[in-house]
Amino acid sequence: MGGLWSYFRGLLGAREMRILILGLDGAGKTTILYRLQVGEVVTTIPTIGFNVEQVQYKNLKFQVWDLGGQTSIRPYWRCYYSNTDAIIYVVDSADKERIGISKEELFHMLREEELSDAILVVLANKQDMAGCMTVAEVHQALGLEALKNRTFQIFKTSATKGEGLDQAMDWLANALQNKK
Amino acid sequence: MNIIIYSMLKLTCQILWEVCVVKCTKMTDSKYFTTTKKGEIYELKSELNNDKKEKKKEAVKKVIASMTVGKDVSALFPDVVNCMQTDNLELKKLVYLYLMNYAKSQPDMAIMAVNTFVKDCEDPNPLIRALAVRTMGCIRVDKITEYLCEPLRKCLKDEDPYVRKTAAVCVAKLYDISSGLVEDQGFLDQLKDLLSDSNPMVVANAVAALSEINESSPTGSPLVELNTNTINKLLTALNECTEWGQVFILDSLSNYSPKDEREAQSICERITPRLAHANAAVVLSAVKVLMKMMEILAGDTEFCGTLSKKLAPPLVTLLSSEPEVQYVALRNINLIVQKRPDILKHEMKVFFVKYNDPIYVKLEKLDIMIRLASQANIAQVLSELKEYATEVDVDFVRKAVRAIGRCAIKVEPSAERCVSTLLDLIQTKTKVNYVVQEAIVVIKDIFRKYPNKYESIISTLCENLDTLDEPEARASMIWIIGEYAERIDNADELLDSFLEGFADENAQVQLQLLTAVVKLFLKRPAHTQALVQHVLSLATQDSDNPDLRDRGFIYWRLLSTDPAAAKEVVLADKPLISEETDLLEPTLLDELICHISSLASVYHKPPTAFVEGRSAGIRKSLPARQGSADETGTAQPESTVIPNQESLIGDLLSMDIGSTMPPAPISQPTSNVDLLLGGPADISVTPSTTGLLGDIFGLQTTPTMYSPPKVCWLPAEKGKGLEIWGTFTRRSGQMHMDLSFTNKAMQAMNGFAIQFNKNSFGVAPAAPLAIGALQPSQTLETTLTLNTSGPVQRMDPLNNLQVAIKNNVDVFYYACPIPIQILFSEEGQLEKRFFLTTWKDIPAANEVQYTITDVKFTSDQISTKMAHNNIFTIAKRTVEGQDMLYQSLKTTNNIWVLLELKMQPGSSTSTLKRLEVQLSRKSNEDQSTSILYTFLFVIM
Repeated sequence: MGGLWSYFRGLLGAREMRILILGLDGAGKTTILYRLQVGEVVTTIPTIGFNVEQVQYKNLKFQVWDLGGQTSIRPYWRCYYSNTDAIIYVVDSADKERIGISKEELFHMLREEELSDAILVVLANKQDMAGCMTVAEVHQALGLEALKNRTFQIFKTSATKGEGLDQAMDWLANALQNKK
Repeated sequence: MNIIIYSMLKLTCQILWEVCVVKCTKMTDSKYFTTTKKGEIYELKSELNNDKKEKKKEAVKKVIASMTVGKDVSALFPDVVNCMQTDNLELKKLVYLYLMNYAKSQPDMAIMAVNTFVKDCEDPNPLIRALAVRTMGCIRVDKITEYLCEPLRKCLKDEDPYVRKTAAVCVAKLYDISSGLVEDQGFLDQLKDLLSDSNPMVVANAVAALSEINESSPTGSPLVELNTNTINKLLTALNECTEWGQVFILDSLSNYSPKDEREAQSICERITPRLAHANAAVVLSAVKVLMKMMEILAGDTEFCGTLSKKLAPPLVTLLSSEPEVQYVALRNINLIVQKRPDILKHEMKVFFVKYNDPIYVKLEKLDIMIRLASQANIAQVLSELKEYATEVDVDFVRKAVRAIGRCAIKVEPSAERCVSTLLDLIQTKTKVNYVVQEAIVVIKDIFRKYPNKYESIISTLCENLDTLDEPEARASMIWIIGEYAERIDNADELLDSFLEGFADENAQVQLQLLTAVVKLFLKRPAHTQALVQHVLSLATQDSDNPDLRDRGFIYWRLLSTDPAAAKEVVLADKPLISEETDLLEPTLLDELICHISSLASVYHKPPTAFVEGRSAGIRKSLPARQGSADETGTAQPESTVIPNQESLIGDLLSMDIGSTMPPAPISQPTSNVDLLLGGPADISVTPSTTGLLGDIFGLQTTPTMYSPPKVCWLPAEKGKGLEIWGTFTRRSGQMHMDLSFTNKAMQAMNGFAIQFNKNSFGVAPAAPLAIGALQPSQTLETTLTLNTSGPVQRMDPLNNLQVAIKNNVDVFYYACPIPIQILFSEEGQLEKRFFLTTWKDIPAANEVQYTITDVKFTSDQISTKMAHNNIFTIAKRTVEGQDMLYQSLKTTNNIWVLLELKMQPGSSTSTLKRLEVQLSRKSNEDQSTSILYTFLFVIM
């Protein structure tokens, strides 16, 4: 009975997608999460741990996990990898100093077997900041051209202004539906 | 050296080889360690990651169930933590429960939970806020505490009192993990603010947290002092909060020292209504505060009196609750009764034991009964105790018997009744072994308390000697035998019988046995040398117990170097025991009073003794009354506690050093040299090379009594050829007549018999003359044992003895004087006190003085010599350069003679003062004294 029901739900596309929002601390992950959920900018404090929220986008339901980006928490990201459908990797475009670290963390993560099928969305966030890197610069700095066998896309966003997020989510929703 | 290196190499090779073997085995057997089975944990893991909330909740419940039965499910930590962010309260609670249990084992991973706590502390639901802050306090992981400060600060100012009161407790928990953090973050001030909170429960929790923090203060001084203002707020909140809140408030009030008597009085007044509370904890806490405040109040005021009266009923009421509560109440009452006996002095009856009380309640009640026993209620108590002694529960009966003894010691007028009760218990037909043993243990204490009063029962006690099988009872009995050796005729036999199994005895019994034998020896040196020698060798050579060995050596050394000192030490008057045993030490009692209604007051131990990690805690003490600090300090009457049987030095230390007990003689070893004829005066110390024992006993002889040389009693011409030489001796407490028969006639003699005429002392032959045929010119020696059971007739001179000897030839008569010293009994030693009173009682008319000149001996030598002749030195003192000896002797017909010898050194004059006490019959003073004088003159 239960199996049949989930089959129908699968047909209707109502399955809850599991999405991780990752990135270095201060990249804007929690802000993006709540922007997606309630459509507003909330004041956030550094996330020591995680946030998990249900996000409805179009007719898709996402279970979005926002993990803290502090050095001390990064080792525990991998506890959340299993069954993950997509990764939203947030980069602070204004933080040129740590873009290298960000790249390392990204590739370290992508090497994980559990994430081999996960769709990757890179958000070059904080595009509203003066003197930030452009999308192309971020793309290059992260070395995304080296990515093979992975569905991925990079977007420029500004979570506080709400720019670019919709495109990214549109693309993600499409990619997820195509994947099935 | 080479050999060692070689063997080490060999060993190393062997080890390496073994390692290889192990490794190989591991390789082949490794398949056993990797399992393909996923197992329970794996199943739970996948369930926890299930999308459906119901499944998740089910899974978490399973995890909690496993955790509860002790399975290690810590591996699921990340998965459980991921379930934490949920709007389902039930699931949240379960996850929190899991966190509290496993956060410590996964300290790094615990950080993943922080954000959820932070969020939950801002949850619109106050229950969730409180739950979060409470769980945060329970997670004792250093790494995450700093992240919890902000949420905690918010919760302390929460609009909901439930959250505030939970947060207050959380501060105390945080203080335990990181005291510095609490102080730096200003949480203490926030807590203090909560004392003025509008909600009484918040006040109660804040005060509980504060006292908790104060108690664990590392400096030992309270971090937050209460002042009059806060105390008033607490007192206001007291009436409104829950019962447990009341306990918190009362407990912290008990830590407050009011600034003056008036404040103490007002606190008392406001607390007194709590005594009527239904909750026992509230009542006991209120009692604690009142007990403390009463220290500050003047004891004689009317207020204090009424307060005392108000304390009794609630305590009595506690005794009608269930047994466990009764027990706690009784343990606390035990303290209260010791501190303030007045409170419950009229409530004796409630402590009477009910037949259905559990044993622990019974024993505790007994204890309190004894503490409350007084002259007014002793009759009641005794009849109760007598009942108890016939019950079946062994422990209880024992304690009851012991209680009777304690009553005897505590309430002097009841001693007589207590002793007779104990005696009844010992003598009863259906006597129970352990009752007898307990009774003997307490009777020993009664003897200590009332010396020379109940010793008549010793014989009854001795009858039960064989039934004693417990060390304490045996030790007590042996103590009694040793202490009263002079009154127990066969003390030496009794002790000897104990010695047979010496090695198997308990150490406590061995020690007592050692002491008792030494006492016996000092009291009755005549026949107990072998015994004391035996026990000393057992104690010093055959025992591994250092205490026993050392005590043996001390006695040995004492006896060998200074027998007088030995007597002074071992036979010293013991300090009277008084009052009660097992009273708590006053400072401990005061501390425990401050801990009434806690585990400390049940254990009767300070909290530092059983709470770990609180060694630096504050020692609570009762407040001193202003202006009369010295009064309270010495309020507790001093009492001497009966030294424990195990107390090794009990006997040694109980000597009264201050007393001026003069040295007394013991029989010094002497050579067989006849004291009279042996000329040289220096006989007291004979250097010996046989070690310590040799010093005392090396010259193994019984001390010889002076006996005059044989004289011719019947010359041959008067005895038709029979010549008799003879003399009198006293050996081993027996009088003997040593006789030499010589046949100077031409034919053999036989059919000898001897008879004595009536004489002054009733001396008569104890056996027929043991002499057979006497050939011509043969000399036969014989010894005739004498006793004093013959007919008595006054002779003149007093010591004249008329003897008739019969043989086949004729009957011959002759007369010989009985030397007075053979009539001196071995029991002629008076107790010092008795000596003094007797001396005073003797009328001056009975006093006779003689002077002997040309005495060559020192007073010690005289004392020794006299002792050999059963004249015992009771005391010696030196007055203005003159040695004074006080001596006593007793004749076989129970005449006591007391002597005072005054010796002037240099002048060689010894003045003899003689006093006579007639105990059984008249005697001619002049004659007997002159005989005595003659004797003394001779031996000097």
